[in-house]
Formats: sequence, C-alpha cells, structure tokens
Amino acid sequence: MTAAIETRNLTKRYGHSRGIIEVDLVVETGQIFGFLGPNGAGKSTLIRLLLDLIRPTSGGASVLGLDVRRDRLAIDRRTSYVPGELSLYSDLTGRQLLTYLGNLQGQVDAAYRESLIERLELDPTKRIKSLSRGNKQKVGLVAAFMIRPELLILDEATAGLDPFIQLEFEHLCEEARDEGRTVFISSHQLPEVEHLCDRVGIIREGRLLAVETIAGLKERALRRIEIDFIGAVDAEAFANLPGVSDLIVRDGTLRCTVMGSVDALIKAAAHFEVRNIRSVDTSLEEIFMAYYGSGEAADKSAAGEASHAAA
Amino acid sequence: MLLRNVFTKTVRDLRWPTFWVSLGCGVMTAYFAILFPTYSKLFDLNAMLEKMGPAVKLLGASLGDASTLIGFLHIELFSMILPAAMVAFAAGMASGFTAGEESRGTIDVLLSYPVSRSRVVLEKWLAIVLACIVAAVVLWAFALTGAAISASALPPDRLGAALVMLVLLGLAFADIALAISAFSGNRGAAIGVTVALMVAMYLIDALSSIVDGLGTIRPLSLFRYYMGGDPLRNGLNLGDAAVLAAVVAVFLAIAVVAFERRDLAA
Repeated sequence: MTAAIETRNLTKRYGHSRGIIEVDLVVETGQIFGFLGPNGAGKSTLIRLLLDLIRPTSGGASVLGLDVRRDRLAIDRRTSYVPGELSLYSDLTGRQLLTYLGNLQGQVDAAYRESLIERLELDPTKRIKSLSRGNKQKVGLVAAFMIRPELLILDEATAGLDPFIQLEFEHLCEEARDEGRTVFISSHQLPEVEHLCDRVGIIREGRLLAVETIAGLKERALRRIEIDFIGAVDAEAFANLPGVSDLIVRDGTLRCTVMGSVDALIKAAAHFEVRNIRSVDTSLEEIFMAYYGSGEAADKSAAGEASHAAA
Repeated sequence: MLLRNVFTKTVRDLRWPTFWVSLGCGVMTAYFAILFPTYSKLFDLNAMLEKMGPAVKLLGASLGDASTLIGFLHIELFSMILPAAMVAFAAGMASGFTAGEESRGTIDVLLSYPVSRSRVVLEKWLAIVLACIVAAVVLWAFALTGAAISASALPPDRLGAALVMLVLLGLAFADIALAISAFSGNRGAAIGVTVALMVAMYLIDALSSIVDGLGTIRPLSLFRYYMGGDPLRNGLNLGDAAVLAAVVAVFLAIAVVAFERRDLAA
C-alpha cells in the first residue's frame, strides 16, 4: 500500500538556523498522525516542503505516492492544508472564500460543505477580517474538509478553537480516518492530540527522534512511585532494580522513578510491610520532554532559542 | 462569478482602483479637451512655450504644438501626468501580486489548491492588462466626449495610438515591478526600484534633447519609445510598440521563472 507521506533523507538548511536534517518519515494511509515538537523544531518546515512552498537542500518526499515537486497539481487535487497562522483573503465573507477555494479545487459537494458549516457553527456571512482567530480557523477547516481530501495536513490548526468545536473537529478527523483517509496534524502540545492520534512522530531541532504509537509511548512512560512502609526498610534492597532511578529512602518512605514495568520494585517492596503505595502517572508531556534529550539545562536554553527563532 | 479563478479574483481586487484611476484620468482629459478653445483664445500658447524654452523642454514638451487640441493634450497630459499615473497604478498593483500574498501569508493557502505558481503570476498579470485597457478605453471615451463638447478636432485613431503606447508603457513598468516582487518577495523594493527607474528614464528622455551626451543612452529609456514617434500626430509606430511589447514579455517571463524557483516566505 502506498504511504500517505514518505520523506527520504529530507533536509532543508537555512544558513545556521533551524531547518530539518535527514528526516525519514513514513505516514501510512488511514491513520491520524500527530507530528510533535516544540516551536521552532522544524514542523512547519517539513510541512512547507511537502507542499512545495520551499525546496529541499537534499533528499526528497512523496505524498500519496506522488513526487512533491514533479506531481504538484495532482497532489493538490487530493490533499488539503490548514496552516496555523491561517491567513485568508480578509475582504471576502466566509462563504465567498469557500466559493473561491471550491472553484480552485474544482468539484465540491455543496451539501457536505453546508453540513460542515453547521457542525463547526460557522457564520459564513461575516467578512473574514471581522472574525476572531478561532472563527477564521473554522473557515480554514471547512475549506479543508469540504473537498474530502485523501490527506489533510493541519499545521497547529486547532489553536483558538473552543472546546466544543475542538470536539467536533476531532469527530471530523475520526470520520476521515474511518473512510480510509489520512490526517497529518502537527502540534507543540501533546495533550491536544494524544487522544486523537494513532501514531506520533517527535521532532526536535530538525531531527526526527521517534515514531511511535501512543500506546508505545505510554509503555515507555515514567512513573513516580512512593511507598510508605511500617517499620524500617533497607535501602540496599531496592538498589539496582531494573528501570528504577532517583531512589530515595527516608523516614520509612521510598520515592523513586520507574520506567516501564514496576514488577521488580513491587516484588522487592513485598519483603517489607507496606502501608500505602502512591503512583503518579507522568503525563505524555513528560515523556515527550524526555525525548527532548539529556541535559535538561541545555535543553531548556535550546528550547528558548528555538521559540525565539520561531517568534 | 468573480470568484471563479485567480484571474477573475484579481479583477475583483482591482475593480475599485481601476474605477478611480479610469475616472480620474478620464475626467482630467475631458476637462482639458473642453477648456482647450478657451485657453487657446486667451493665450498664444506656442509663443508662451517658446519663451519658457528649456524649462518646458524639461517637462517633456519639446515636441508639442499647443495650437491644436492633440498637441495641447500631448504637452499637458501625455508627456508626464498620464504616464506617471498609469505607471504608478499598474506597477503599484503588480508589485503586490505575489509579494502581497506572500507577506499576508495567503499564498500558502492559494498554492495548496491545484493552481501552479506560473499560473498565479500569469492570471494576475492578465488582470492588470485588462485593468490598463479599461482605463485607456475610458480615457479615450472621455477625451472624445470632451472634444465633441468643445467642438475641437481630435482624431480618434491618433488618440487611440497614443493610448496603446500608454498601456504598453504602464505594462512594461508593471512587469518590472512584478519581476522584482516575484524575485524578492518584497513589495517595497518592487515599488521603490520601479519608481526610481521610471524617474531616471523620464529624465534621460526629457533631458537628452538639451544635454549633450545623454543622447547616446536615450535608447535605454522606455519613454523614448513611448512618445518618441509622436503617435498623437503620426499614429502608431510599430517599431516603438514592439520594443515596449518585448520589454513586457521579457519581464513577465522573468517574473514567472523567478517565482517558480524560489522558496516562498513563511
């Protein structure tokens, strides 16, 4: 089966600053794929390469099996795109804009378009310039979904939507997936997309760090565990357990961080009399942060620079 | 209906600027045509021009014969005001075609639809061609109406020939602005360079008859081709028209290629 997106060694350099470096990414059709990374990591750069708005320094990419450079118009007929900083022709009303974009596309199912306008609660009679950010985003989403594209590329596209519309948007994505279409959605906030995506790719400083299922990410989850014991415990009994780190035993309470299975820790604890166990599931956000490499201090400054570059 | 494609959308975007430029130039031309008999009765315009000498030549009036309406229009309008207005309008609009969509960010959405970059440039260019032609036709009609009101002779074909040259001059500068904006993505640079070029070319042409040495570089000025053959008196000079048309074509091609090859601004 043809992949929805495939990049081969895709590289884009901008002098010294950000870009992307040797990205090999495969997104299979029929899934919702989350593309995650902090601001300035290279998410938009990769997306703009896929759209042929910018050209790679080296490497290549294909969308729906078609070369992004050579088969541009064939790809455009079958895909749609909503940028995060969505700019639309502000002197048009929502409906005029949808008419124009529909005409550029060719055929649009008018009934389906109207149902989208209703579901996202868009007022199409207002001029774009009078719309709030969230409402502009709705216009972009209607325009993107109305052509029933085989691939939807959404770059931070849900920012500014209110929760109800966000939910409706998620339903639309799920419907698209259930019809065998593909949704590629970038975000710098994992919680926004973690329950929506089948798989996620994580990018940082231009390099693709990992592609995993959400379940796979969770398996690598870090957990903070605290165990209260009755009576004294021997800290030595917990040293060198697999997956256990940051171990502190003080005043009959054990605190540690566990990656993966907690089995070894529980079995070790069972030798003593346990009063209580508290487990704090780390959020995916923390896993996400864990991917951002070792050396947290260096990491923070790098993230700071990256967001400056993006701003 | 005007939202069918990039061409019609651009026509829609240009409709009000085109309306006002057409109306402004038309009314101004009609005004001069209507008042011409009064002027020529009150003043011996040719004698006045003669007295002013080089100062008037600076304004490009060296060829004029102010005793006829067509000569009067040449001196008063076609030598400076109309070309300045036409170039400002056409180049001003064209400079924003791609650079404006880039700086506003709308180009990303536009190009994600099945429209190629070349097509965007060409369809927008066609819209400015249409806008210039509309302005010229309106101007032609207003001028002839004014001439009819004042019962002055104004040969429609000669006026038409001058307007063809005016449109070609406007489009030549529009395409220079379009090429700079397609290459750089910078609307300000496109307007600035084009206006500077227009002023320099105008001065080269106007001063070449009174300053020695400028004559050798006069062929570099587009104004030399615009009124050099005096189309208001002699009709269309096909050679001059061909030179301007070639400039239009070359810079359009440069704009298409430059825009096709470049990384677009985020």
